[in-house]
Amino acid sequence: MKYLKYIIILLILSTINLSFADEHETQLQNEITKNLRCLICQGQSIYDSDSQFANSLKILVEKKLSEGLSEKEIYEYFENKYGEWILYDPKFNKNTYFLWLLPILMFLLGGVILFKLFIIKKN
Amino acid sequence: MASLIGLYSLFFGLCSSFLIIFFSIKNFRNFLNFDSKILSLTFLQFFFVVVSFLGLIISFINSDFSNETVYNHSHTTKPLFYKISGTWGNHEGSLLLWLLVLTLFLFLFLLKSKEQSKKYRILTLFFQQIIIIGFFIFLLKTSNPFSYIFPTPAEGLGLNPILQDPALAIHPPILYLGYVGSSIIFSSTLAAATLNKINKEWATHIKKWVLLSWVFLTLGILLGSIWAYYELGWGGFWFWDPVENVSLMPWLALTTLLHCLLVLEKRFLLTSWVVILSISTFTLSMCGTFLVRSGILNSVHTFANDPERGLFILIFLFSLIFLSLFIFFFFHKFENKNMNQLFWLSKETSILINNWFMMYFLTVVLIGTIYPIFLEVISSEKISVGPPFYHKLIIPFLIPFLFMMAIGPKLKWIKSDMLIKKRLIVLFLISFLLSFLLVIKLNKDILINSILLTFAFYLFFVSLRDFFIKKKLSLPQNFAHFGFSLLILSILFNNILSKEIITNLKVGEIYKSEKFEINFENIGQVEKKNFKEIIGKFIIKDSEDNIEILNPGLRIYNQPNIVTSEADIKVNLFEDKFMTMNYVPNQDYFNIRYQIKPFMIWIWFSVLLITFGGIMSVFKKRYEN
Repeated sequence: MKYLKYIIILLILSTINLSFADEHETQLQNEITKNLRCLICQGQSIYDSDSQFANSLKILVEKKLSEGLSEKEIYEYFENKYGEWILYDPKFNKNTYFLWLLPILMFLLGGVILFKLFIIKKN
Repeated sequence: MASLIGLYSLFFGLCSSFLIIFFSIKNFRNFLNFDSKILSLTFLQFFFVVVSFLGLIISFINSDFSNETVYNHSHTTKPLFYKISGTWGNHEGSLLLWLLVLTLFLFLFLLKSKEQSKKYRILTLFFQQIIIIGFFIFLLKTSNPFSYIFPTPAEGLGLNPILQDPALAIHPPILYLGYVGSSIIFSSTLAAATLNKINKEWATHIKKWVLLSWVFLTLGILLGSIWAYYELGWGGFWFWDPVENVSLMPWLALTTLLHCLLVLEKRFLLTSWVVILSISTFTLSMCGTFLVRSGILNSVHTFANDPERGLFILIFLFSLIFLSLFIFFFFHKFENKNMNQLFWLSKETSILINNWFMMYFLTVVLIGTIYPIFLEVISSEKISVGPPFYHKLIIPFLIPFLFMMAIGPKLKWIKSDMLIKKRLIVLFLISFLLSFLLVIKLNKDILINSILLTFAFYLFFVSLRDFFIKKKLSLPQNFAHFGFSLLILSILFNNILSKEIITNLKVGEIYKSEKFEINFENIGQVEKKNFKEIIGKFIIKDSEDNIEILNPGLRIYNQPNIVTSEADIKVNLFEDKFMTMNYVPNQDYFNIRYQIKPFMIWIWFSVLLITFGGIMSVFKKRYEN
């Protein structure tokens, strides 16, 4: 079968070692700062911004990480300090039920409308 | 002087609107042919707006600071190119540009629709004139680009430095051609709905216009994205920022409309749906202008805002929505029984599923953008909706969407048989295997990455294969779908393989890690007309001793006095090396950010491929069977 040769090529390709650095700590730090809003900027994250505020928060995140706090604990820490506005990933609570559920509801509604198109036809 | 001519020209333009409406009502009632006077008047109106626009450009070129707009957004030391682009780099000028495109599209439409019925052309003209009058009044009343200041200031305030950039100079006109292009679709849909002419012929006729706006909108978004990538200095190209979302929403609606028109053209189905989509596309474009201009959005791209203007656009917008709903419910005839002709396995069904998903994506973006605004008004609680929200809601749905994009075009119109082709399955297995191996190799989170990669590769292989095999293939469609698969793949790999280093360095210092060595060799200084630039020289050595020299800069603009950092990007077929240098106040070191961004060029290229599909389709005579 001619497809077999492609599969073989793929297998050979896969043996070429592509290893990448796992600078895990900084990666996690970047991940976290990307999800925090720079409060004094116009719609930038802490990670993206180079304002003094953002830079001091970057250091703070680094410090909290070295203190051994988990990602979730760090988010909580910042939320307590600055309010929910700082989190780019909105939490699921009474303020955001609609935010999270409305798109899903719309999707389901669309599905029902589509489904009905084909059911009605049969009757 | 030029300002004065511009201002009078605007008044004349507004007057010609009323003349046009007068003559069109007369012409609509009598039994004569299309009155050529109307065409001349439309051209005259376009001409007036062009004169007005040129008047503003000349005021900018001459740095005529007795004009308030010029005073606020220009400066004598600015290079000529940015003096000109400053014309639309501000609120007043950009609205004048809106008006210019509105009248241009109307004139082109009248020229290109000669084979259409008289009533349809006149009604389209009429609806378009309503929009045009709205914008004339908006411009003259709340944002006159030709306001006069006395005494004349000696020097202007200057243009925001981050707008002084070639990509951003052409980004607004291109984007506006797309945005405003949807106005003619809106007008013509309302006209066709009023005359009950939403049919196959109309679909063929309007499709070109939809494609045209779609091409410009896509290119406009691409330019904005490229600009954000190199100018904002963080190496990202899409941040799910409200202003970006606002341009994405009409794009999603327009793409949906485009697919929907194919069904209307072939099968005379979904007429009401097409009307709704046309209306929403234009409404979303208007909403975009409203949200950006009113200043209620907190965004990197917010440059000018004024609440009073927002209120005017809001009222205008609601009147237009009201008008279109009125026409939709009272004039448009709903089809009922046609839908019974649908068979579950057919091209129409696959397009309906595409519509379903596109509408879902649109809802996510819409709700994500406006929900925080409403929440703040209602409960005065502020929340942020950022990338994680969109990723969580969109990425899982992308998987079946990609699958449908691969399978859909293979199905036949009306009724397709269940013949499962061996090749399609084999391609799927190859995609799966490839993704699985890649994900394992890269030590990445297995499940979601490998599934997404599998389906992206699947679409990639299927559409790639189609280029060579299928004889009666729709080339534009295949280009667009292939481009989309390439886009998703590039974004995924870019995401997975990006690397970066952020560090503080003094001149002469060396940063070392396992992978890189960054040597901050020296700094130099360059003086230009509108800014001074400090340029750093960095020598980067990777573990294989490849040497790369990067020269990021810091620009100190004179007017207004703002410091921006200029990224230096070494573009390569497989990866971009991206470096920025940032100023840290009261310190002798700089903040250095070095990033390796794989496949960036492929992201831009794939969007160009998608656009190319659209362009091909514009120039294609007829949609093939």
